[in-house]
Amino acid sequence: MQEFFQQLVTGIATGGIFASLALALVLIYNAMGLVNFAQGEMAMLATFVAYALINRGVSYWIVFPVTLVLAFGGGILIQRIVIRPVERAPILTLVIITLGLAALLNGLAGFVFGYVPRSFPSPFPAQSADLFGVFVSYRDLGVIAVSGLVLLAVYVLLQHTKVGLTMRAAAHHPEASRLLGVHVSWMLALGWGLASAVGAVSGMMVAPILLLEPNMMQSIIIYAFAAAVLGGIESPLGAVVGGFIVGVTVNLAGAYLPFVGGDLQLAVGLAIIVAVLILKPNGLFGRARVRRV
Amino acid sequence: MGFPTVISSFQTSEWTQALILAIAIMGLNILVGYSGQLSLGHGAFLALGAYISAILAHRYKMDYLLTIPIAALLTGVVGFLFGIPALRLSALYLALATFALAVVTPSLIKRPAALTGGVQGILVSQPDPPQFANDAFATVTGTAMTSDQWIYYISLFCTLLLFWVAWNILRRRPGRAMRAIRDGEVAAAASGVNISAYKTLAFAISAFYAGAAGSLFGLATGFVSPDTFPVSLSIQLLVGAVVGGLASIPGPLLGAIFAYFLPIESNQWVPSQTWIPAQITSTVKNAGPAVSYGVVLILIMMFAPNGLVGLVTSGYSALNRRLRGAADRETGQIPPDPQTV
Amino acid sequence: MSALLELENLHAGYGPTAVLHGVSLEVPEGGVVALLGANGAGKTTTLRAITGGVRWSGDIRFDGQSLRRMSTEAIVRRGIAHVPEGRGICTELTVDENLQLGSHLRRDRAEVSRDYDRVFEYFPVLKERRRLSASTLSGGEQQMLALARALLMKPRLMLLDEPSLGLAPIVVRSIFKIIQSINEASRVAVLLVEQNARIALDLSSAAYVLEVGRVAVHGDSAELQGNDSVRRSYLGY
Repeated sequence: MQEFFQQLVTGIATGGIFASLALALVLIYNAMGLVNFAQGEMAMLATFVAYALINRGVSYWIVFPVTLVLAFGGGILIQRIVIRPVERAPILTLVIITLGLAALLNGLAGFVFGYVPRSFPSPFPAQSADLFGVFVSYRDLGVIAVSGLVLLAVYVLLQHTKVGLTMRAAAHHPEASRLLGVHVSWMLALGWGLASAVGAVSGMMVAPILLLEPNMMQSIIIYAFAAAVLGGIESPLGAVVGGFIVGVTVNLAGAYLPFVGGDLQLAVGLAIIVAVLILKPNGLFGRARVRRV
Repeated sequence: MGFPTVISSFQTSEWTQALILAIAIMGLNILVGYSGQLSLGHGAFLALGAYISAILAHRYKMDYLLTIPIAALLTGVVGFLFGIPALRLSALYLALATFALAVVTPSLIKRPAALTGGVQGILVSQPDPPQFANDAFATVTGTAMTSDQWIYYISLFCTLLLFWVAWNILRRRPGRAMRAIRDGEVAAAASGVNISAYKTLAFAISAFYAGAAGSLFGLATGFVSPDTFPVSLSIQLLVGAVVGGLASIPGPLLGAIFAYFLPIESNQWVPSQTWIPAQITSTVKNAGPAVSYGVVLILIMMFAPNGLVGLVTSGYSALNRRLRGAADRETGQIPPDPQTV
Repeated sequence: MSALLELENLHAGYGPTAVLHGVSLEVPEGGVVALLGANGAGKTTTLRAITGGVRWSGDIRFDGQSLRRMSTEAIVRRGIAHVPEGRGICTELTVDENLQLGSHLRRDRAEVSRDYDRVFEYFPVLKERRRLSASTLSGGEQQMLALARALLMKPRLMLLDEPSLGLAPIVVRSIFKIIQSINEASRVAVLLVEQNARIALDLSSAAYVLEVGRVAVHGDSAELQGNDSVRRSYLGY
């Protein structure tokens, strides 16, 4: 029973990581109807930047917000340079461009930092806390706390600030927003920046566990896809809830289902995607959209 | 065609790989370019074809050449089965799901280790050229044919055959139906096109091609293992399809040549050019294929979405227009996305 | 003295199809001008040209300055509120959020607060439904929301595209009364596109009738209403 509870907590922690990346995906999907296949690689690169700063001796708790800011800027840059010129292109074109971007960022990270896995520090101590008689690792609790805070901050930003309102309006109703004086194009860029920053959180939380290397986020993005699809690809709340469900499910499956073990956990992610898309394509919180002819 | 008579054995095997890639890309092209379904998991079908052949040859001692059509057929059937649930997915979700498949493929292969040889993979013994081929070759070049050269000719034969088949399928009704579906499903359905049938057919055919390519791949490299089918392979196929030019026949071949030789040439040709500054050279050399692929993919999608073939045809039609003075209709870009949820 | 809005020899269209073939019209400061005509005459296209939604040639001047090459957002920020066909309600947002989008550009907090009060006086139903999703509003209520939102922008000119469309006559009458109050109280100029010529002419001081992309008839609204042959030929009643 102890072990189950520990696995549950770890599952929630990994869920927080998935939820952050899934939220990033949903933010961009809401803005453009596009799944950004490069989201994971963007997060990975941000984490490498954090690594470089930490290596220079900067304290973790300064590096963390600095990285978020840099990731934010990077997201805006990418939107301006790569995405905006082809804004009106068909979705498939945009998808292929994000794939190209993913390959580019992956190669770039490999070029600059090499492919040797590096250890990335966790700001939380390696011990366990005694939580109602169960020993839970501080690291898991830390990840839950940080992801929870970030997700909450994004929620507050989107729902309770003017900027968030204009971002949402620009994302869902670009034409009407223009007529209200909203700079839709800049709101899209902001959306990319925000998504990039949120994704960076995911990267920095997972790096201590997986070891930092260019291919680090490739499996995480699959779980994030599963979470976003499960929650309903348009729903930020869905992404978060989906993230936690996927995290717990994958963790428990790996621990308790012998045929899954450690290496087929990713297949569980794939299975979730397939199951949702076949059984309930709109996910838990999504809404059926009318087909436009 | 008669390459192996003039180039080294090693270069022959390189061109063999390019041809095999062309077959796989042709399959992907049928799926993406003609029927508008974006599959990012084609590497999985390649793996399937390769492993079916390898297992049949290695475990059941079947003649390798015989395993090629079997692997292709079986993979085609699996593709058909994939095509059925794929009908319910929008373009974006299909891309997502197949991408996930591509990432998971190596681990899926490793699991049934007893069958697939697990991490170590399966060795494929490369057959010697039969007597008639040897004789023919000797009369031209005066030397015996090597295994590599024989395999080249097999691949060449398959490539020509499969391209010819594709050309026939695509210019006839199935091709027209698929293009109608790609350009607008609702309109196509209203015109009486059986959407489900043609979409699953496209999946089946493209998987067939991938299976054939995978099978040949095992033959050409002499070895199959889970790590030879990572997600970057699926990306490489997509790059080839897009760069060559979707919805065209020569596109896959051009794209394959590009996709296969780009990383090699950037590693060898570029550094050997003295007029390129050293910094650029070392960057290109070290950055690796991923960066080049990525940049190329982005640039092509931005400036030449119809790929190399598109550039040529638009250049040709621009010339035509100039000569004839007639107004020309704009050709479509990369398949417009089906407007589904 | 030049008018607030001047359209001079406006040509506009969609791709190769030209819709407007040299339209000229004026809206004076604080005036109400009606733009009438049958379906397809080009009324909506005219409004879209003004706010940069369609390519045009000729000239469009607002407050003396040409709007050529300006983005929609920039044009709107100059003081033009455009309530498009279909009202442009953000259905993913609440009523209140829609209203906030109307006032989001303004810095004068006290004035904004007063304008909110005024808006709720005109449209009490919006106050009741503040927290609800805008998608729950009926057609008439959405029109009210669109108008309220435009009001909150504190524009100098409002472009209204068929405000009566799909609404019951009684609702139409009350909305038009409110438009009149807004015009009189805040001196906001209005360019009103309508198929319902009668009610548009009642409200406006001048009118232009478009036919196949050209101005067929224009003049004082009262005169046009009084002219039987004009009414029968162009206005349908």
